[in-house]
Amino acid sequence: MNTRLRRTLPYAGLLIAGIAAPFLFPDYTFQFTVLWVMILFALTWDILGGQMGYNSLGNIAFFGVGMYICAVVQIGLYYDVAQYTASYGAVKVEFTADQYFTGLAVGLIAAGLGAMVFSIILGWVVFGLRGPYFAIGTLGVALSAGELTGAWDYVGGGGGIALPIYPGEPDDRSLFFYVLSFTLTIILFFLLRWIYLGRFGLAANAIRDDEEKAEGMGIHTMRYKTVGWAIAAFFLGISGALFGNMIGFIEPLEVAFPTVTFGLFMVVMCLLGGRGTLWGPVIGATLFHTFKEVTWIYLLGWQWVALGALIVVSVVFFQQGIVGWVKEKWPEKFGIAVDDRALAETDPDLDEAPSQRLRRQTEAAQ
Amino acid sequence: MSKHLKFLTALAFGVAAAGLVAAGPASAKVEGDTIIIGSAISFTGKYSTNGIHAKNGYDLGVKRVNEMGGVKVGGKVYKLKIKYYDDESTPLRTAQLAERLIKQDGIKYILGPYSSATTKAMAPITEKYKIPMVEAEGASRSLFTQGYKYIFAVLSTSEQYLASSIALAAEMAKKAGKKPSDVRVAMAFENDPFSLDVRAGVMDDIKKFGMKIVIDDKLPRDLADMSATLTKVKALKPDLLVISGHSKGAATAARQIKELKIDVPMIAITHCEAAKIVKLFGAATNDFLCPTQWAETLSYKGKYFGTAAEYDKLFKATYDGYRNVPYQAAQASAAVLVWKDAFERANSFDTEKLRQALSETNMKTFYGDIRFAPEGNNIAKPMVLRQIQDGKFNVVAPSKWASHKVNWPRTVPGM
Repeated sequence: MNTRLRRTLPYAGLLIAGIAAPFLFPDYTFQFTVLWVMILFALTWDILGGQMGYNSLGNIAFFGVGMYICAVVQIGLYYDVAQYTASYGAVKVEFTADQYFTGLAVGLIAAGLGAMVFSIILGWVVFGLRGPYFAIGTLGVALSAGELTGAWDYVGGGGGIALPIYPGEPDDRSLFFYVLSFTLTIILFFLLRWIYLGRFGLAANAIRDDEEKAEGMGIHTMRYKTVGWAIAAFFLGISGALFGNMIGFIEPLEVAFPTVTFGLFMVVMCLLGGRGTLWGPVIGATLFHTFKEVTWIYLLGWQWVALGALIVVSVVFFQQGIVGWVKEKWPEKFGIAVDDRALAETDPDLDEAPSQRLRRQTEAAQ
Repeated sequence: MSKHLKFLTALAFGVAAAGLVAAGPASAKVEGDTIIIGSAISFTGKYSTNGIHAKNGYDLGVKRVNEMGGVKVGGKVYKLKIKYYDDESTPLRTAQLAERLIKQDGIKYILGPYSSATTKAMAPITEKYKIPMVEAEGASRSLFTQGYKYIFAVLSTSEQYLASSIALAAEMAKKAGKKPSDVRVAMAFENDPFSLDVRAGVMDDIKKFGMKIVIDDKLPRDLADMSATLTKVKALKPDLLVISGHSKGAATAARQIKELKIDVPMIAITHCEAAKIVKLFGAATNDFLCPTQWAETLSYKGKYFGTAAEYDKLFKATYDGYRNVPYQAAQASAAVLVWKDAFERANSFDTEKLRQALSETNMKTFYGDIRFAPEGNNIAKPMVLRQIQDGKFNVVAPSKWASHKVNWPRTVPGM
């Protein structure tokens, strides 16, 4: 098998799996949809958390912001939002199919852009923080976003908003949201692959390794961080909008800003799969979601214990995550040996920091 | 090295295999002689106390029906069984589990989740798939204004929970020679669909009497502390304190009212029984007013559990640790009885026929009469207000059902 084919195979596999899944297991469409959203969570978290070393605990805020922007747009296009939310969803409003799809389309775009703008403004404030301060700072933003939304009567406060209901058949609805979530995640995946291979990836890794030095070398670190976060926010915002419509009923604390569940899961999935890699988040999210679904069905009562055990095992034994661990054990499987030889020719001084160099090589190759 | 590779391969296969097991054949709605009803309920998370009460109620209902001959459909006797999932007290999970129950497990009959928020996430999905749901724990009015046709709730809606305490405060004011409009009310509500609906009901009545609201607070999301509100209560000395925050909110309120020695002539709190506050905080809870969907002292009677008092006895004998049977458990058992009744009247497993049968439900049970409005809520049963008097829950309002006189102003022994 030639290298080129072998390299493309996993990508083709991902696409085929994604397209085939709802046809092979139509009853599981909803679960697969959630899986794609989980992969999106992990991929977006990894842009800053993995590639740049900025561990945000507040990315879920963009999810919630997107969800609410979309809901307000969907309803606001045709009705008075304040009136709609005043009685906590007690008014009955019919949306025609046209209204539904127009509202959703406009809402999704607004959600993405709105979340992006929010992230840029937020970036100004929090990118001065480093390490644990950044983590806690962003966590605070996510928590307070939930609380503030809960206190805002215009959007229904803690009573939430009942979203317009999909006009078609229930099975079509599942497929509709599956296709949207799948497409969104795949676009993100290939976008990230493209930017990680280029200048952005190198700059991001430079920021992770030593931000001061990167800045000293003329990299505009603030710009890269902002762009990275804006990309994450854009996709998270749209995913939030989709998710809200899938659930059908949104409220601030549990659905829109689930800081201690989804907000932490996205970190755990990256750690499990391997942060700072392209495939790590995909594998981590798939494993995590499967594990969670299985234990929640077969280990009822012990499900959180099992999940805790998984996290402990992954943190203790797979600190670089599954992808990172496999890569370090069998670098040749990732075509690194080839690069190694090439590297040895151009740079004989390889003994200095081989593992460090290898890892960076691999990531760049991704 | 190769050992590691083998381990990793094994791990990958293990996960894949587990995934396949999860993707295994969907079980049918009726298996052999068993009718399977699905329920996603809160085993973990902030509603787990009540989630477990509801589950106990469901289980007791199923046990009783099965013991007393099961369900007869088409001349054959079937047993009931419930398939449970944990919704983690979040609507996020409910929506996923609803899909799982209906699509993967092939469930055609649903018993509702605990809380209004989760029921609101469940209802659009059961509605879409045209799967009837009998629910016992979602009281928010907004559930019954959406034109849903497949939801049937055995309980009274939430705006009725504390409204009667306002009327009672007005009555007491008159008795003391004051005007009802002189009554000063302090309120603290959880920021969720249920409590906000309770608040809406209270607000309607407050407006009707022209009372003054001196405190209108929201409980924090984890419901673990309300000392800020109570400190204000100490300073402002309202005539009535109204609190709603599910079981955890009730426990927090009772604990801090005790610790801070709050002295208000009338205190009304939802979910007193479910939070077991008498057992936990003893005499400090004296004269609290607690709205309830059901009380063991009421004169209800039905075929399956006998009288309300007999249900109470049976429940305490079956499950440890209950001094008072929470109404959440009683209405859950009642929901199971509604399903049983509907299966027999429809004499079919067809969901449309069952929906029709459910809409025509007219039952007398230990939990009270059950008759559904076209919107799906039970209109045949009142909400009653009980007062904790010397550790006992006595019905004090409305007067039709009252067995005891209300103690006003409230007194706490030793305070």
